[in-house]
Amino acid sequence: MGEELEYAAELINRIIEGVEGTRIGLHICRGNWSTREEVLLTGDYTSLLPALTAMRVRQFVLEYATPRAGDIKVVGESLSNNVPGTETPRELGLGVVNPRTTEVESPEDIVAKAEQALAFYGPDQIFLNTDCGFGCFANRCVNVEEVATAKIKSIVAAARFLRERYG
Amino acid sequence: MFETTQVGSWPRSREMLRALRDRRLGKMSRKDFDRVANHEVRRTVTIQEEAGLDILVDGEHRRDNFYSFITEKVEGTRLMSLAEMLDEVEDKSGFEEMLTTLDVPASAIRNPTCVGRLERREPLALDDYHFVKSLTDKPVKITLPGPYLLSRSMWVGSYTRKAYGDQREMGDDVVRILREELQELAQAGCEFVQFDEPVLTEVVMSAECGRRTFM
Repeated sequence: MGEELEYAAELINRIIEGVEGTRIGLHICRGNWSTREEVLLTGDYTSLLPALTAMRVRQFVLEYATPRAGDIKVVGESLSNNVPGTETPRELGLGVVNPRTTEVESPEDIVAKAEQALAFYGPDQIFLNTDCGFGCFANRCVNVEEVATAKIKSIVAAARFLRERYG
Repeated sequence: MFETTQVGSWPRSREMLRALRDRRLGKMSRKDFDRVANHEVRRTVTIQEEAGLDILVDGEHRRDNFYSFITEKVEGTRLMSLAEMLDEVEDKSGFEEMLTTLDVPASAIRNPTCVGRLERREPLALDDYHFVKSLTDKPVKITLPGPYLLSRSMWVGSYTRKAYGDQREMGDDVVRILREELQELAQAGCEFVQFDEPVLTEVVMSAECGRRTFM
């Protein structure tokens, strides 16, 4: 693993070491400053895995609505076991809606995405979330409230369906 | 199972944007600013509750951006737009070209530059947590900038070298500050703390994509 990735893992582990009583997550994305998808970064999580597997965080909150993030298999095969040195299973905060688009993902699309994750994770290990924020940069919000609201409602509808099917 | 939540930030209203600008320019008191922000957080909490989300966020309404906001809370920092930072960048034309290519508005995106020894003046997000909890019984997620993102973005050589020998030394203070915050949030009962490390992808993907970004 490169020196920078090793340092990134070391930093987060020093912060969280021994802290209990809260769920600790780490979010990674490929940029969220523009609604032009082509200017944001592209690539799956493979090259980050050496750092991610070393991090003792419980949940990785990851972009997966955008095809630029690649296949769920990449993290499913490496990051679905226990947090190192514990009996606590790792979790996936699965990104299921793109915060930058005006089109609202259907609950059916979201269910299909979650079912891909179910090949590697149990239902209790899967959280459903947006790919990133709707307004990480106040002056450069990437969406409007009406669309954002419709997107989170779609996530909730998908979760209800999934709980019926797998609960 | 299949718990639902968000990554953190919500679109800002016109009123919120005006308050952020006025506060930044020193034209609005903290009390007036908080009145606007509290109203927006309340609305965002209601929207999430009505939508049926399981774990709520406050929408980061008070934040200029997800990492620059720490300049409000941490001693030894200065909020600088990327346009201001341009003066300090060695490869000026390269940096400008990157901003244009990536569709980054240099005046609207600001960086928390380290200009002195870092000390937490007030909690980064603990008060935000308490405020959301006063509005809802649901679990809450609080977002914090990741340590690697801060150790990279806060270091602007010509400013930071006066306070720290190197980036790793500054990184040690970043760790201390974030650890204190995490401990306080955990003690307060915060259900979920998320560290944001978007810049990790840049380390491994910018070469493949043939460019670096601004963070």
